[in-house]
Formats: sequence, C-alpha cells, structure tokens
Amino acid sequence: MDDLMLLFPLLIIGSGALLLMLLAAFEKIEVESASYISMGFFAAAFFVQLLVASTPETVLFGKIFNGMLVSSNFTTIAGLIILGCGFFTTMSSHTYFRVNLFCTLEFYAIILFGTCGMLLLTLSQELITAFISLEIMSLSIYILVGYDRSNIRSTEAILKYLMLGAFAGAFFIMGTAFIYGGTQSTKFAEIGSFVAGHSATNPLVLGGVFFIFVAFLFKAAAFPFHAWVIDVYDGAAAPVTGFMATALKTAVFTIFANFLAINGALHQGWITFLFYIAVFTMFGGNLIAIGQHSIKRMLAASGIVHSGYLLIALVAISTDHFTGTVIGYYLAAYAVGTLGIFSALSYLGGEGEKRATFEDFKGLAKVRPYSAAAITVFLLSMAGIPPTAGFMAKFYVITSAVTAGHMTLALLGIMSSILSIRYYLRLIINMYFHEAEEYFETGGSPWATAATFILVFCVFAIGLYPIVI
Amino acid sequence: MIQNYLILSIILFCLGILGVITRRNVFTVFMSIELMLNAANLAFLAFSRLHESMDGHVLAMMVMAVAAAEAALALAVVILLHKHKGKLDTNLFSLLKG
Repeated sequence: MDDLMLLFPLLIIGSGALLLMLLAAFEKIEVESASYISMGFFAAAFFVQLLVASTPETVLFGKIFNGMLVSSNFTTIAGLIILGCGFFTTMSSHTYFRVNLFCTLEFYAIILFGTCGMLLLTLSQELITAFISLEIMSLSIYILVGYDRSNIRSTEAILKYLMLGAFAGAFFIMGTAFIYGGTQSTKFAEIGSFVAGHSATNPLVLGGVFFIFVAFLFKAAAFPFHAWVIDVYDGAAAPVTGFMATALKTAVFTIFANFLAINGALHQGWITFLFYIAVFTMFGGNLIAIGQHSIKRMLAASGIVHSGYLLIALVAISTDHFTGTVIGYYLAAYAVGTLGIFSALSYLGGEGEKRATFEDFKGLAKVRPYSAAAITVFLLSMAGIPPTAGFMAKFYVITSAVTAGHMTLALLGIMSSILSIRYYLRLIINMYFHEAEEYFETGGSPWATAATFILVFCVFAIGLYPIVI
Repeated sequence: MIQNYLILSIILFCLGILGVITRRNVFTVFMSIELMLNAANLAFLAFSRLHESMDGHVLAMMVMAVAAAEAALALAVVILLHKHKGKLDTNLFSLLKG
C-alpha cells in the first residue's frame, strides 16, 4: 500500500497526460480549460507527494519491478520540486498563450508526459529504466521546444537540441552496454557490489561510467557540452525555457547523484574529473553570461554556472550515508528563482516575445514597480545575496565542499559567485535607474503574475526555512 | 570470438560519431545516431552471449523501441525544416549563434 502511495504522483501525472491527449480529440474543449485541468493534476500530485515526503528509503514493488525503482527522501524532494515546476509552468503558459497564439491542447499533455518521465527518472535505480525515462523526458522537451512550428528560430532550436540530445542518448546506452558487460547487471545495487568486490578500474566499468557521465553532463549542460543550452533556451518559448531550466535539471542531477552514490570507490575515482568539470563549468558559464545582451541567453548561461555549483555538491557528497539534502536544497532554491524570472518574462515579454534584451526592460520599475521588485528578488536570490534562498543554498554547497576537504573548490565557488553578481545587477540597474520608454502592457490573464508573486514568497520561505526549523 | 563482435560494435560507434560530427545533411546525421544506437545493441547481444543470460536481449529490445520513438520525432523535424528552407543542410540553420 505504501509502495502504491509513493508511486501515486507518477500515476496521477501519467493518467492526466493520457486524459488530456484524449480530450484533444474533442473540438469543443478550449485550450485554457486544458491548462486548468493540468494545473489540477499537478496540484493533486504535489499534495500526494507531500503526504509521503518523509517516508524512509523503500524499494517500490520489489517483486514486480525487481528493485528497479527505489524511493528515498531525496527522490521525494526532487519529485516535489519537479511537480512544483510543472504547476508554475502551466500557470505562466496560460498567460503566455493569451498573446502568443500557437498553443493547442497537446501542449499541456506533453508537459505532463515530460513530468512523468522526470519523476520516473528520479526513482530509477537501474540503467535501462533510467535510459527510458530520460528519453520520455527528452522527447517531450524536444517537442515543447519546437512547438511554435511557424517560427524558424524555434525550429532551429529543436534541430540542435534533438541532434545533440540523441547523440548524448547514444553515449548513455553505449555506457550501459559496457557496464552490463563488465558487471553482468544494470542495477545500481549490483553494480555497487561488483565495484566493492572487484575494483572500479575494470576497463569496461571505467569506460561505461565515462560514457554515462558524458550523457549526464550533456543533459545538465556542464562544461564541454554546454554550447547548445544558450541557443535552445533562446529559441524556446519563455514558459518552456523555465520548465527546461528547472525541472529537467532537477531530474538529471537527482539521477546523477544517485548514480555517483552507488559506491564510494566509484565516486572517489572520478573526483578529480568532476572537480575540473565543476570549475570550468562555473567560470565558462560566467564568461558567456557577461557577454550576453538577451535576458534569456543570460539566464541560460547563468544556468550553466548553477550546474557548476551543483557539480561542487556532487564532488562533496558522502557515499556512506548519502542523503542528498544539499543538492535537493540547491535545486529547490535555483528552481524558484529561475521559474520566477521566466514566469515574469512570460507576461512581460509581450507578443512574440518582443521584449527580450536588457535594453527592453529599461525603466520597468517606474511603470510596474511590483514586477520589477519581484524580478529583483529572483536575481538577488540567484546571485546569492542574503536572506534569499539562493544565499542559503550556496552557503550549504560551499560548507559541504569545505567539510569534504575541497578547500580550493570552495574558494573558486565563492569567486565565481562574486563574478556572477555583475550580470545580475546589470538587469536590476536597467530596471531601476532609467526612464521608462514604454508602457509594458500585458496579456490580461493574471495567472503568470500570480505565479511570480507566489514564487517571491517561496524564495523567502525556502531561504528562511533552515533558520526557523 | 566475443572480441570480434565488440570490436565491430566499437567501430560502428566511432563511425556514428564521425558521421554526426562531419556530415552536414540532417538526414545523414540522424542515420549516424541510429548507427550508434545499433552499435550499443550489438554490444548488448555480445555481452549477453558472454554471460550466457538473456538480459542483454531484453535490453536491446528496449533500446530499439526508444530508437523508433526518436526516429519518429526526427523525421517530423526533418519535414518541418524542409518546409522552412527547402533544403536539409545544417549550415543553413544558423540564426541562433551560441
């Protein structure tokens, strides 16, 4: 019964996706009512997930699924973040599609399908299950990115993303084949006991793990594989970009951490590799972000920097009693900040996202002071200024690195954080210290605005949560 | 004996990577990716034979199903690109410069 409850959010989301897909066949149903239906499904799944949030580690239906799905505190928290991201994305899409008229009912169904894949990815403790859920998630995101079929920019984005994503998927499956060859199993538990019994330097295991890392680093937009992110985020619609930047990253980092945590020797052998990847990801992302003129591209680059921080947290995890609290907290803090900005962009962007660059947001504070304040809160949270969630998250990541004995990494993390303030402040300065050149009219639906202000509350709530508790 | 299959699989995989990197036609790129997936399938079957278990066969079937889904989406994208530009050369699509 408990197992069923733990799997229930996944079932709710899956059945919601199927229901919406069926409803799409009826012409009478409006697109806007589809968004309400999917909000309902997200909210229901979120509350079920909240009910089971404190369950200890359980193997879900051990006899039927053969230990492929394991739920722990970490996965339920990741599930909560993903479901929350889905909920707020639906809210902001509702507003976005008032002015950008290319939405059909299937859009919401595909968001639900993607969420389904992400939830499954967080739970999976077996490489083939991980591959299939990774592909469910990626295929849905590809479609969402290219949803505006008349827009050549989004077509180009889907081409790039699909080509490189499928390429990374092939690496993942080749790595799985190697690991299967080396250890006779694709289950994390059995790989762990093989590595413990033999050694992590078996050439097949080593090659396999490397290929799987390539795939994960690609999906997480880490250093050598980060170039696609900026183009794809730029080409996709604002709510979709927000969804990709937050929910997808949460799912990928959850499975990445679960995979690294299977065995201490495995983690130990790759620490130097991950160390350099983390450093290059942070500074590379910062360099790219400083040169951008479009807000979406800047946020994409800042997403790369945040991947770097998450990699620091991955370097510092302890495999003996892995809880994933630091990673979960950072993901939550990053998700509220990024989602908030993207939901603000969804209603401020205007028709065809005509307001996209730093220049376009000049004087926003004079015309819409509350929106400007909200965006400022999100930017400060991403830059890591107290008392926002972003500060606490960075604090925990750096502390965990120091505790694990990676002093250099902690120092480099702080340096990169200082660098990143530059491009976040640039937008704040543009909003506050210039005269308004236009009226910033919006589409009329209040949902995205509501989402933005709820997320402002979440930024402070998540930031103050560890102090209050 | 098993090594030969593995070597073939790795050669196919490398050919796939080369194809993705060097080819400019969208179709050829997607074909190369399929080649990479099939190289992995061959490795699965070879290892399955080595371990004398059926697991690898099942995994290969799963990969095929996913590859089919990906190919369906890829073909849809190819049609979309052709509608926009009338050609499938990846160099033509360079509005977004990262």
